[in-house]
Amino acid sequence: MVTDPGNRVIESYVETDNSAEARKAVSDGILNIHKVTSNRFWQFAALFGIMFVLGLIGFVMRLSSGFDDKAAWGYYVALFAFLMTTSSAAPMVAIAPRIANSHWRRPISRAAEIWTLAGCLNLLIYIPLIWLLPSLENGRRSLWFYGQQKAQDMDSCWVFCWGGGVPAYSPHIWATLAILGLVVLGFALLWLSILPDLAVLRDHGEGWQKKWGRKLALGWRGTSAQWNWQYHRMGVVGAFYFMMLVFVHFFISVEFLMVHVPGWIDSLYPITHAHNALQGGVATVMLTMFFLRKFGGYKDYIGLDQFWGLGKLLLALSLLWFWFWFSSFMVLWYGKKPSEQAVLELLVKGPYLYLFITIFLLVFILPWFTMIWNPVRRSVWGPPILAGSILVGTLLDRIRLYVGAWDVAEKSEMMHSMMHMEMEEVPGTIPSLGIADAFVIVGFIAGSVLIFMLATRLIPAINIWERKEMLLYKAEVQFHRTKVMVMGKPR
Amino acid sequence: MVNSNKWGMVVDIDRCTGCQGCVVACQAENNIPINLEEHFNQRRAIQWIRIERYWEGEYPDVKARFIPIMCQHCGNAPCEPVCPVYATYHNDEGMNVQVYNRCIGTRFCANGCPYHIRFFNFWEPEWPESLKNQLNPDVTVRSRGIMEKCSFCVQRIQRSTREADRDGVDLEDGDRGLNPACVNACATNSIIFGNFNDPNSEVSKIKEREMKEGGRGYGLLENLGTDPNVIYLKKVDESVEVGHGH
Amino acid sequence: MQEHTQLSNKQINDDLLKDILTVPKWWLPAVAFLSLIVLTGLGAFFFMMYHGLGVTGLNRPVMWGFFIANFVFWIGISHAGIMISAILRLTQAEWRRPITRAAEVMTVFSLIAALHTPLMHVGRPWRVLYWIFPYDFSRGIWPNIRSPFVWDPSAVGTYLIASSLFVFVCLIPDLAILRDRVKNPIGKKIYSQLALGFRGTPRQWKLQIIAGILLSALVLPVFVSVHSIVSWDFAVLIGVEGWRSTIFAPYFIIGAIHSGVSAVAMLMALSVWLYGLDKYIKPDHFDAIARLLIVVATTWFFFFFLEWVYALYTLESPEIALRELQAFEWPYGPLFAIFVITSFVIPVPMWLFKRVRRSAALMFWTTILVNIGMWLERFLIVIPGLLRRTHMTFDWGTYHPSIIEILIVVETFAFVCLGMLLFAKVLPLIPLFDIKEGMVNRRLIKVGRRVVPATIREGLPHHYYENKH
Repeated sequence: MVTDPGNRVIESYVETDNSAEARKAVSDGILNIHKVTSNRFWQFAALFGIMFVLGLIGFVMRLSSGFDDKAAWGYYVALFAFLMTTSSAAPMVAIAPRIANSHWRRPISRAAEIWTLAGCLNLLIYIPLIWLLPSLENGRRSLWFYGQQKAQDMDSCWVFCWGGGVPAYSPHIWATLAILGLVVLGFALLWLSILPDLAVLRDHGEGWQKKWGRKLALGWRGTSAQWNWQYHRMGVVGAFYFMMLVFVHFFISVEFLMVHVPGWIDSLYPITHAHNALQGGVATVMLTMFFLRKFGGYKDYIGLDQFWGLGKLLLALSLLWFWFWFSSFMVLWYGKKPSEQAVLELLVKGPYLYLFITIFLLVFILPWFTMIWNPVRRSVWGPPILAGSILVGTLLDRIRLYVGAWDVAEKSEMMHSMMHMEMEEVPGTIPSLGIADAFVIVGFIAGSVLIFMLATRLIPAINIWERKEMLLYKAEVQFHRTKVMVMGKPR
Repeated sequence: MVNSNKWGMVVDIDRCTGCQGCVVACQAENNIPINLEEHFNQRRAIQWIRIERYWEGEYPDVKARFIPIMCQHCGNAPCEPVCPVYATYHNDEGMNVQVYNRCIGTRFCANGCPYHIRFFNFWEPEWPESLKNQLNPDVTVRSRGIMEKCSFCVQRIQRSTREADRDGVDLEDGDRGLNPACVNACATNSIIFGNFNDPNSEVSKIKEREMKEGGRGYGLLENLGTDPNVIYLKKVDESVEVGHGH
Repeated sequence: MQEHTQLSNKQINDDLLKDILTVPKWWLPAVAFLSLIVLTGLGAFFFMMYHGLGVTGLNRPVMWGFFIANFVFWIGISHAGIMISAILRLTQAEWRRPITRAAEVMTVFSLIAALHTPLMHVGRPWRVLYWIFPYDFSRGIWPNIRSPFVWDPSAVGTYLIASSLFVFVCLIPDLAILRDRVKNPIGKKIYSQLALGFRGTPRQWKLQIIAGILLSALVLPVFVSVHSIVSWDFAVLIGVEGWRSTIFAPYFIIGAIHSGVSAVAMLMALSVWLYGLDKYIKPDHFDAIARLLIVVATTWFFFFFLEWVYALYTLESPEIALRELQAFEWPYGPLFAIFVITSFVIPVPMWLFKRVRRSAALMFWTTILVNIGMWLERFLIVIPGLLRRTHMTFDWGTYHPSIIEILIVVETFAFVCLGMLLFAKVLPLIPLFDIKEGMVNRRLIKVGRRVVPATIREGLPHHYYENKH
């Protein structure tokens, strides 16, 4: 019995419509859209396929130039970092709002999770990099202290190792394990999420969908025990995915970026890199959402609420981008220490100045100054445009950082101590973008998108069971003179 | 006559015997409070120039190394940007200047200085009645709560500049009226003071000779990028094997 | 919230206003005791001003000691107010309702306590105005805007003004209730003036709510920048190797959130015990704040770990000497161990258990531990860094805090408690209108066989939610 503050009985409970017909209507609605594949879809898939083949050609061209010249691989590593920043981080849009019980995530969480499949492309791209990371023997700087110790007693060449000359504490092993772990966790997250929907496909789908559903749904019946198991596992896998993501970005930012630049000792940078990933992931999902709504036929499912919710998040993350960048910049700039000034010269003030200004505009100024206005933020067109700007800016940013860093890799003076390491000289120009690099960048981004598109043919792009869950929690009631929505917030 | 001066010093560690004559001369010239034993125990003794002593080697081959350290008058001073009230700034003669009456004593500059040459008046300085007559009238007597440090005896530079202008002559390099008190007091001529902008001065010639590859010259804590105006000349000691430096 | 008592307006008014309209028995002795401590602290300050800073334990090279550690600590605590009020208001979290005002008021008082310290610790406090005003108008000598010590008053001052405004705007409806209920003519007059003629008309409510939301959004950048600026007091100095870490800004902020939110949890427990407000602050609220604390504490620990890893990364001798001092030498070694244990190792595993989270007593004691640990953390950043500064080992120092410093630090704690008590006497510590709003918006939804709580969502107009199935 519920009484209002005036002690009048208003109503007993709000009834939600959780009947079987309502639930079937939800799954039918989504399946009907999922079944249809337009011609335009296949045209675009073919286009992306061709671009992907170009990317493979570029990759082979890059391979043929060998592993000796690090600077030549700069664009390749930048692309790898870009993909790790966008597609690997996209699932966070599914994980985080789930923990916060935000209902607006429901239509888009599946799209976010499908991006984990692009992780296997990332893993393949990573493999050549194992040969490119400097070895421990010539005293490379590393977060692994042994590397420094080698630098300090350069006369002794004895290396403690087993197997093929790769020590147990080698960064190469840990980087591989981390990225592999991330991909595996991503797959686990996706599979757990699609289990109930595969059951729906099995029961209500047709033809190959039925077979595909039956094989993978593992006898899902929707009992309470199974739901509890699934919830619990999804929570755990989600949390681990987040922690692994932070760890991977910590790794990439240190081993692929900071150790190559003499004098760049920036304790904040792993966090900055992880934050850029969150921002990139949200922007990726925002664009995905837009395309699903406009071209995927999901107009009735992805509405203003989703763009508004993600838009707020994107605004906050853009502001945070500035803060993280400024925190690093302020400390390095103020002290005027020569080694640190050289780092700033390389990455901000020197050859990359115009690139940096462009990035600053695209990733911070433009999103922030437009999205603080409600009409822009609360619209369907506003946030996706800014998401596009952020993605372009992020790609340019990865290029700025990684190409710059690999350009000066292993060119430092005063190797005898970390603190006194300084770049020999700051390069005057940006290494030029070769044909192979252009192919690689365009091709592998297209490849990730292609993987996503093909996956949506197999898996419904909207999460069916989460939408059915919505039926339980949402109701509309009369409130004074208007109708409002009542949202349940169970634990 | 050079257009602007850049005052600096060269300190030859090979010649320094650690006699502390410079410390005493500085105290007398600049009205530095008398440091009692309790001040040393509290680590609050004020010594604008101090002799640092480092031990090297194991018994019986122990050696003492002395290095006189005073304000380096850094070109890129870390103490300058952090003072909230502009009590310390860089003047146009290349010196880092402390303005006593502006200082409110936040001690931010002291934390910024990597050489620890900035001193704070924790107590109100006191002189016995008889010693008040020996206070130098050209130098401010500081009260408690104020930061102070070596000024390259700026009062002597100013007086010499005034007198040279009045007499219409150039400032003479090595003039004892121009030199800071520590330079004049040093028995072994370890400290040399002069104008780095004058190519004929003693300090410029030493810098030219010793600051290149194979020379004895170095700046203290150079890698921090403070651009000090004091050049130190390394000790020449064939008998001791020096380990890897910092 | 799952547990809930639906209360009538009258009952809410009676409960929350009773401590303003009548004086609780323990109130006067508590205020007297705290005032005594504050006066003693002020006496210590005047003693120090007369004799000079020599009465403290400061020396060369440790030019900053207890005072600055205390300053950073109180700035840290002040971040809780914004965290709870602004962020939870903007994310529409229901559980914030009873605690927003106490958090905001604590912010205001802790900011004032923090501002004590820079004014007190300078060598010539009577000249502190130079800091903010130009010294010499005719020669145009302004404060040095390159100095982090000039950014500090700007940031902290802005934060203080914004927080005070925030407290005031959210107080207006409650001031109106007090104006209508208080019998004492002087009190009535004061409340009338402050209530700005609030009558509860729809337009006035609309303005009040918009003002609250605008302030919440505007104060968030201030929230981030204040503690970043305070951290840059340390990080910009090349002379102190241990402070040269770019992570200082976010590290200080997350530490501030950790200690601040813990302080709010302490306040919640004290409100329940001292003022008997257990109908308003339920175990559910403690549970919610404890969950937030788990996330915050873990993030903080990660940042702390990162700071250490990067310090050791360089293998540079001053840095290593500093870390050895911090972790292994007396007395910093034991203090370091205590700090890690009290700020993370004991509280966080305890908070993983529901029983602990829902108990006011256990939350109180664990959060006190957290704050002890966080004060020690500030101390361990400031002083060991200054003790082991550069390669010049001849100048490595020692530090022993004196009784004057201890008295002044204790005075700041007493000041904040005194401020909160005085505030609670004059104005309600729990926002009445917020609670009533929560009651009005509440509904129940039947889900299968269970009934779960639900709220009416402020959101988009109705037709945006219409989805065709």
